[in-house]
Order: sequence, then C-alpha cells, then structure tokens
Amino acid sequence: MDILLRVIAIFIEVSLLALIFYCLLNGARLTIFDLGLGVKYRKMVTTALVVDGGIILVFLISHLTLLYPAIGAG
Amino acid sequence: MDSLRELFWAGQEVYITQVFMPIIIGVGIFFPAIIGLFVLGFYRRYRLWKVGQGDNRSGEWLTRLLTTLAVAVANVRIVRLKELYPGLMHSLIFGGTALLFLGKIIRLFSFGGLTVPPQSIYLYASLISEIGGVLIIIGGGMAVYRRYIRRPPRLDTVPEDNLVFVWASLLVLTGFMIKGYRIAVSDITPPDWTMWSPVGYLISNVFPTFMTEAKDEILVWHRVLIHTIPAFVFLGYIWLNRSRLQHILISPLNVFFRSLKPKGALAPIDLEKAESFGVSQIEGFTWKQLLDLDACTRCGRCQDACPAYFSGKKLNPKKVIQDLKAHLQAVYPYPLVKKPVESRPDMLTEVITEEVLWDCTTCRACQQACPVYIEHVDKMIDMRRNLAMEKSQFPESAQEALKSLGTREHPWRGTTAGRTDWAKGLGVKVLAEDKNIDILYWVGCTAALEDRNMKVSAATARILQAAGINFGILGTEEACCGDPARRLGDEYLFQTLCQKNIEILKSYNVTKIVTTCPHCFNSLKNEYPQFGGNFEVIHHTRFINDLIASGKIKLGGLASNKTVAYHDSCYLGRYNDIYQPPRDILQAIGGIKKVELSRCMSTSFCCGGGGGHMWMEEEPAKRVNTKRTQDVIDAKADLVATACPYCLSMFEDGLKTKEVAESVKAIDLSELVLQAMALDTKKA
Ligand code: SF4
Ligand code: SF4
Repeated sequence: MDILLRVIAIFIEVSLLALIFYCLLNGARLTIFDLGLGVKYRKMVTTALVVDGGIILVFLISHLTLLYPAIGAG
Repeated sequence: MDSLRELFWAGQEVYITQVFMPIIIGVGIFFPAIIGLFVLGFYRRYRLWKVGQGDNRSGEWLTRLLTTLAVAVANVRIVRLKELYPGLMHSLIFGGTALLFLGKIIRLFSFGGLTVPPQSIYLYASLISEIGGVLIIIGGGMAVYRRYIRRPPRLDTVPEDNLVFVWASLLVLTGFMIKGYRIAVSDITPPDWTMWSPVGYLISNVFPTFMTEAKDEILVWHRVLIHTIPAFVFLGYIWLNRSRLQHILISPLNVFFRSLKPKGALAPIDLEKAESFGVSQIEGFTWKQLLDLDACTRCGRCQDACPAYFSGKKLNPKKVIQDLKAHLQAVYPYPLVKKPVESRPDMLTEVITEEVLWDCTTCRACQQACPVYIEHVDKMIDMRRNLAMEKSQFPESAQEALKSLGTREHPWRGTTAGRTDWAKGLGVKVLAEDKNIDILYWVGCTAALEDRNMKVSAATARILQAAGINFGILGTEEACCGDPARRLGDEYLFQTLCQKNIEILKSYNVTKIVTTCPHCFNSLKNEYPQFGGNFEVIHHTRFINDLIASGKIKLGGLASNKTVAYHDSCYLGRYNDIYQPPRDILQAIGGIKKVELSRCMSTSFCCGGGGGHMWMEEEPAKRVNTKRTQDVIDAKADLVATACPYCLSMFEDGLKTKEVAESVKAIDLSELVLQAMALDTKKA
C-alpha cells in the first residue's frame, strides 16, 4: 500500500513539475520568437527546448524516486 | 488571539530561515527583474505606437480616469446583460486575482516585522487569498468550458492561450497546495485559525497520508519552487511577450485615451496641407489607432455585433484589428527595425482587402460592443479615404452616387423629381422666397427625392404646420449634407458640400434646424462645427415628442390595434444617444401594441443603408436589411416604425424580399403621428 501511495505521490509531483517546466520552456520559446527571432530558427529552438524539457523530466523522476520521503502518517 | 501571527506562520517559523528567507531573497531579485521586464515590454509597445501620427487625446483627465476605473475595476462594459456569462467570468477572474494580490501584499508587508499590523490581519489576509483563489478557479473553469467545450465562433484559440490557461491554473493549484502543506506541517490539528484557510485546511489533510517526514524541508522547497518561481516567471512572461494578458495594462490605457469627441464626428483632413489622403501604410494611423491594435483582447464581441459579418460578408471587425496588429508586427519585426515599404504586403489590398473595407456600414455596433473602446470605424474610413482620394477606387454603384453628388448635389442619380416636389400644395415656405422663419426644416436628399420617403417629409411638414411652427425649407438651395461622400471616403466632396451648405445657412441667418434624417442630423450637429457651421440641430423625433409633451399637437388612438416595433437607427441611437423620444412618441399614440425587437437600443442591428451602402449593389443573400427584417417578423410586428429615411427604404425592400410586404408595413414615426393626429381631429 505504501509503495502504491509513494508511486502516486511521485507521479503527482512529477506531473506538476513537468507541467511547470512545460510552461516555463514554452513561455521562453514564445517570448524568443515574439522578440523577433526569425521563423527559420523555429524548429531548432523548439527542438532544443524539447530536449531540455526531456532532460529535466528524467532528472526530476530520478531525483524524486531517490529522495521522496517514505509514505505513512507522520 | 495573542499569538495569532505566530500561529499563522506556524510551520514557517520552523523553517523560517531555510525556506522563507530564500523566498524573500528571491523576491528581492525577482521583483526588480519583473519591473525591468515590465519596462522593457512596455517600451517595445510604446516604440510601435510612436510610429503613428499625432492625435491629441489630452484634457478631461478626471472623466478619463473615472471611465478607466469604471471599466478596469468595476468591469462596466464588460459585464452586460447580453454578455452575462463572459462578463461574469471576467469579473470572477479579475476579482479573484485582485483579492489574491491583496492578501499577498498584506502578508508581504507584514512579514518579518516589516510592519506591525494588528494580529488578526494575517487571518483576513489568508481568507482573502483563499476567496480570491476560489473565484479564479470558478471563473477559470467557466472560461475553459466556454473556450474549449462550447467554443463560440467569435473566440479563436492560439497555442499561447493554452499556455496561459495551464500556467495560471498551476499557479492557483500549487498556491493552495503550499497553504495545505504549511497547515500540515504546523502540527496543530486542527488549529482554530483553519477556518481562515478552509481550502488549505482541506488540502492539508491529504499530506500527512503521504509523508512520514511531513516537515522535511526538501518537500517544503518543492512547494516553494513549483509555485513561487513559476509565478514570477509568469509575471515576466506577461510583460515581455505580447501575451493576451497584456490587456491588463494596455486595455485600461486605451480606455483612458478614448475619444471624447462627439461620436459621430470623423476627423477632418486639412485638404490644403495634406500631402497624401487617408491611410495606406500602417504608419499613417495615429498613435492611438495603433494602441487600439494592442489593446484588443480578442473577445470577439465586435464580430458578434457586426451586421456585415452576420450577413455573410467578408468583413469581420475583430479580424481587421488583429490583421492590422499582425501587419504592424511584421513591418516592425524587431523593436527598432522597420521593413521598407517595397517589401511589405500592401495593407489595403493584401492585409485587409478592399472588399472588406467597403463592406462596412459604419453602424458603430462594433465600437458599442467593444469593452475597451477600440475605434474601428475611423480606421475603416481612413483606409477608404486613401482608396477614394488617392486611387479613385470605389465600388461601381457607389461611384455613380458620388458622381451624382458632384454634379447634382444629391446621390439619387436616377431620380427625375425636384427637391420641392414633395411639398406641392402644402404651402411650405421656401427661404429664397420668404426668409421670415423660426426654424429651418432640413429635408435631406432621400426624404426630398425618393418616392416612399417623400411621404415622410410631407407628414413632417404637416405636423409642424398643425403645431403652428413658423418653418421653411431651403428647397433647391439645399445640397446633400455630405454624409454619403464622407463615409465613402471622399472627404473633398464632403467638405465642398458642407462648406456650401454652411454658407447658405449663414446667409439666411439660420440658427435652428429640424431634420428627419439621422445622417443629416449627425453631419449638421457633429461635423459642420469642424468647418464653422454651428447650429442648433434637432431630430424630428425629439421635436415632435416635445410638441406632444407641450400639448401643441394632440394624438388620438389608432383604431387598428396594430403591433408596432420601433427600429433604432444607428446614426440616431448609437451615434447620438437618442433612444427615448421615439419610444415616447409611440407611447403617446393610443390603440397600438408596442414590442421591442430582439436587438434594440444600443445593440440595435443596422438596416444596412449606412456608410454609403444605400447606393451600393449587394448580393441578395448577403443583404443586411433582410436579416433585420427577419427580426421584425420574429417580433410578430404589423408595423415597423422608423426614424430614418435609409431605414425606411431598407425595410420596404426587405419586406418585399421576405414576401411579407402585405402583412407587415414600414412606416416613419411622423406618418404614424400624423395618422394619430387625424384621428384626434375626427374625434373632435
Ligand atoms: S461599423 Fe458596423 S458594419 Fe462596420 S465593422 Fe463595425 S459593426 Fe461592422
Ligand atoms: S476590437 Fe474590442 S470587441 Fe473586438 S475583439 Fe477586440 S476587444 Fe473585443
């Protein structure tokens, strides 16, 4: 039971953080183009940010899996 | 309540240095950064507005300030009866955000002994923030339902909208999570102040289930990092990127600089000094017209209100504003870089298109609907002016009307009637023969020359005579007021006609004018003063209403017991705020049943005749008048009462097209009054 709860907790945590990073990176992407970067760089910038997002996600999952506290009423 | 503050911050005090000091330091760093981004973002916009032409929008500061507060704070114009759902939705989000900020500010300024407020203020701050958050969730939920499930056609959703929705929802959600976490770590269960954080308390019950080391600072850090930093970045994003949320700042600015001139007065062109006419490049617009583009919230209310769009034409006022905005950004891709004219798309033919420009009836419904006072009509006319005066490009049928205006001083090219034919046998004074009058009856081209409308001028004259008014007409000396020429973009022709009329009117020492035509009324009252023609101008509905009220004319009841619907003319209602006198007249006529059309008063639907459309050929399926006639049919009216010669003609035509001309009649209010007067006379 504790393991299941732990997985759920980590899942919620990772989902929230993933969404947050999606917002931050997507916001950065839109701002970069809004500031005038040419359309020809669109693919390159988007790919770079998606890769960044992927790395962040992997880090978050491993970080939380290792460090997330034990489940059970404190 | 002694240690309320202590209690409220319980859980924070445990980690006050580990957790909250970094936040305070973070705020210290982020806050100047946010201000910097705000200034940078604003400067980007400001540079673009500055490329526009000058326009004096100063003066009447108090009125400006009050209107801005009314719109921005009280959400006047945003919440309307016909816009209840989006209005309420906006108010909930706005009000919720305001409360949330209020709560945060109170706590920020009282943190760490910065100020020493009464202890209970922490509790109020907490509750205020929670209420704010709940309001945002309700309003945001309504917005999501509307935008993603109901999807009204007037809303367009771009990827950036999705981002703003997700980001803002996360901030509210994580905000509540942090509150819950703080309560969970406080170890006081349940503390008596949890009633001041009801949502946080509910959430706090979840955390102990998941955590053995509920007070683990890493977790507290998580909560802080998933909320506080994204919140600051969000603020930075709003200001730097041209996000839709920039309307928080730019729309109130636009409201502040709204036009306080008479609504019906187009800006004159100084024909002697002007090097070019109208607007063909984006820089030709004024700075305020460019500010308009940024202030648009893409709410689509103008689109819903536009008769041209409703009847299937190409024009969509929202799209016009958005296309111009995109064009401005394409022309100035970087803040200080400008695309040369040769490498830009042509604004009038490729960005907006001529067809769109000529579709506009200048009815002003878009401006009336717009919550942030964006001025569509002036832009349309400015672009039309360029087409008309620089390129001589008009729709063919409009060209004929303008030709007639130039040669015969009226737009009715086919007519063989003379300007005084309608008055034959009525004994109406013509000023050239007898200038001893108190009031000039300005007949207008349509009421003088168009068969159906000649009955209206005759009815008006007979009413004035019955009331013992000493009036006269200019007869053949009356030229078109110039409204069709001005709205079709031919400012030169308008000014020629206007100046000629002013000269004649002054030569007869005319001071007071009554007119049956709202277009003449608007030009004489609001536009002639631009050229030195200052007269007291009264529309016949107001004049007749005053005659009824003062007992100078007496009305009987119509025996037929007909159902009558009054149609508000755009140039009388929206342009000049005359809504009540026509209704009072109907009220004074007995024996009729009055009904309102579904779109009435300020949200009235155009008849389709304004902006020169009276003389333009239109595809039958896309005629505005048939749509409006349907409103009359839907209201089950036997009579549609008008107060404008264009409307009368448009309804005559619409009723025939709809094949209901036998059962439903269009009639001017003056004709109805005359009928009621006749009945009164018979009774006597
Ligand atoms: S003035 Fe009337 S016709 Fe023209 S864009 Fe606005 S709503 Fe449409
Ligand atoms: S112009 Fe005004 S009414 Fe139209 S979409 Fe923009 S803000 Fe809304």
